[in-house]
Amino acid sequence: MDFSFTEEQDMLRILARDFLAKECPKTKVREMTEDEKGYDPEMWRSMAGLGWMGLIFPEEYGGMRASFMDLVILMEEMGRNILPGPYFSTIALCALPLFEYGSSEQKIKFLPQIAKGEGIWTLALTESSGRCKASEVKLRALSEGTNYVLRGCKLFVSDAHVADYMLVVGRTGEGNSPEEGITLFIVDVKGPNVQAESIPTIGGDRQFKVSFDGVVVPEDNILGKMGKGWDVVDFILQRAAVLKCAEISGACQAVLDMTSSYAKERIQFDRPIGSFQAVQHKLADMLVDVEAVQYLLYQAAWGISVGSPSPWQISAAKVKANEVYQRTCIEAIAAHGAIGYTMDHDIGLHYRRVKAAQFVAGDSDLHREVISIQLGL
Amino acid sequence: MDFRLGEKELALKEEIREFAEAELPPDFVRDTLIDGEFRDFEFEISVSKKLAQRGWLVMSWPEKYGGRGASLFEQTVYEMEIAYRGIPGAWMGISGTQWVGPCLMMFGTEEQRKKYLPLIASGERDGVWCTCYSEPNAGSDFASIQTRAVKDGDHYTVNGQKVWTSAAHRARWCWLAARTNPSAAKKHHGISIFIVDMKSPGVTVNPILNYYGRHHFNEVFFDNVRVPASNLVGEENKGWYYLMQSLAFERRSIAPTTYGTLKWILEELASYAGHTEYEGQPLSKNPVVRTKLADLAIDLEVLKMFAFQLAWQISQGQIPIYESSRNKVMGDDLMKRGAITGAEIIGIYSQIDPDSKWAKLNGAIQGAYLGFPGQAIAAGTAEIEKNIIAQFRLGLPKSY
Repeated sequence: MDFSFTEEQDMLRILARDFLAKECPKTKVREMTEDEKGYDPEMWRSMAGLGWMGLIFPEEYGGMRASFMDLVILMEEMGRNILPGPYFSTIALCALPLFEYGSSEQKIKFLPQIAKGEGIWTLALTESSGRCKASEVKLRALSEGTNYVLRGCKLFVSDAHVADYMLVVGRTGEGNSPEEGITLFIVDVKGPNVQAESIPTIGGDRQFKVSFDGVVVPEDNILGKMGKGWDVVDFILQRAAVLKCAEISGACQAVLDMTSSYAKERIQFDRPIGSFQAVQHKLADMLVDVEAVQYLLYQAAWGISVGSPSPWQISAAKVKANEVYQRTCIEAIAAHGAIGYTMDHDIGLHYRRVKAAQFVAGDSDLHREVISIQLGL
Repeated sequence: MDFRLGEKELALKEEIREFAEAELPPDFVRDTLIDGEFRDFEFEISVSKKLAQRGWLVMSWPEKYGGRGASLFEQTVYEMEIAYRGIPGAWMGISGTQWVGPCLMMFGTEEQRKKYLPLIASGERDGVWCTCYSEPNAGSDFASIQTRAVKDGDHYTVNGQKVWTSAAHRARWCWLAARTNPSAAKKHHGISIFIVDMKSPGVTVNPILNYYGRHHFNEVFFDNVRVPASNLVGEENKGWYYLMQSLAFERRSIAPTTYGTLKWILEELASYAGHTEYEGQPLSKNPVVRTKLADLAIDLEVLKMFAFQLAWQISQGQIPIYESSRNKVMGDDLMKRGAITGAEIIGIYSQIDPDSKWAKLNGAIQGAYLGFPGQAIAAGTAEIEKNIIAQFRLGLPKSY
């Protein structure tokens, strides 16, 4: 066993931390919640320049050929700093499956574009039930010659307003199980009959209801195999769950750091509040929680990195991260007292993002179910 | 990063499974009551000897002291599997294999090493130790111990009282912390460690029964006990440093053993839920039961990662600072939740005497339920462990 990062991974982390601290201060994070686009295109281009968009693609697609673990490290830093915008949607939800399941034509067409920072993507999976389950995929895709026509609507589609393309999970048939008869389509969002309506969220991120009212998609734009789309969705959910854990892990570490600094500085009863055991024990509990998330995350990510993902380790990491993100923020606000409850303080930025993070790539109940099955229940 | 176990560790797991099948009687009932009495000491020590013969009892010690230089990963896997299989007799009292041996290797004289290490490594009764730390007025405030050791020529005279001494009634030797300099500027600087023969005149052991009538703890009285000066460990008045090291060793092994025990309990509960009908379907289909067991499984995975992370850190030559405390907090919390969750799942049967024919799962849940509050106090309470994390990891000011 080896619990250490490589020197290159340490460098990547430092580089990312420095870049984000400089280019994406909290003033910008706050600005972006009010911004029309919700992200800074100039920063997006700089990130592409650093190779972050194509981080794990091979060089032939303009990438850096880094490992999944490297991507985890980068996304921990994005979570730590809070990076508003469509990086998660583009890379975690779409670029990874495009690289894994795309035809060579699709890869040549789309991956270099993404790597250059010229393609923003998102995933349209969830429908009105809000659950990531195959049985909930109702959007119809009917075959018409060499095209498919999509009719239906998706909810909680991130960054749809700025996306160039969307992976849309549709139903092309019925089978013995809900997983059969699902197909993924690459949809050009700028085409006709796609309409996005904003769903305002407490996190200030951008989510949408997207309606597909007879959207025509050529069959060349099917990602993976016709009718076997749930395999692709599974692939996406596993990786997206781990990458969301990475953001959460970084965020929790930031909240813990902020809170322990504050406990050393804030004087009451003539001494720092961090000298009181009630505060110390709260912070010690937070530390144990945060390290729990980190090691479950690294274990799950390592499995993916070496090509043998463990679904139940992924699920364990996501349930833990969901729980710890919420608890860490709540305890941190309590440790700060009233100042932690204000618009001016950074902890609120994290607390407001908890709910969005918990439901990405499966909520806790869905992941507990994976674990129950693993236990033989 | 790499989270694979090596071939050695995987093979060891398999060997321990075979050992358990061969050496434990078919009707063997494991004792999950952590501070239960050593109920069948003869059997326990007979297993110790077999573990010694397999080269496992002190596997991570160097060959010259009876070990085989196994890695800390092997040691960790061994501790997990021993606990998982319920194999008794691994610790040579409460301390021989875990911290007396390792501390003697670090701080003892060559003469002490030659005399005591092979005894522990042999798995014989004469290698069984107890540890005399706590006193009636020195629990968490351990540096306040008052038991005195006064040098008198070629020996020390020891007077005082120790309490909560695990397995003192089984031990041949005692690892004793005593005050040698009562006027040291800081109370931590006047403590020394001694090896005491429990057969010495003036040593009295009285049982303390726990709230369930089990005998694990004792009071130990020292009344003008003569201890040869050659039984001083390391330097006089440097004992606090050795103590901290011994506690680090002790706390390290808590996560692997708790992991093993709870993994077994979790599997038993899953199987119980699968075989127990409720409202016309197996209990395992009940969403509440599924959620509880899944949550337990998640934190068990955390404990496993913590255990291996600490083993890795030590194997890299890094000195752990707060990690043993982190693992202790996590392990105790999980043992508590395992016991409580287990009791909720077996329901009304959780009140049955663990030895009764009425007990489900051979009383394992009641054992854990009765045992966890005691385990959580031993080797440092949650409050003390969290103080350590807060001060030494997070850099918060000392609170006392």
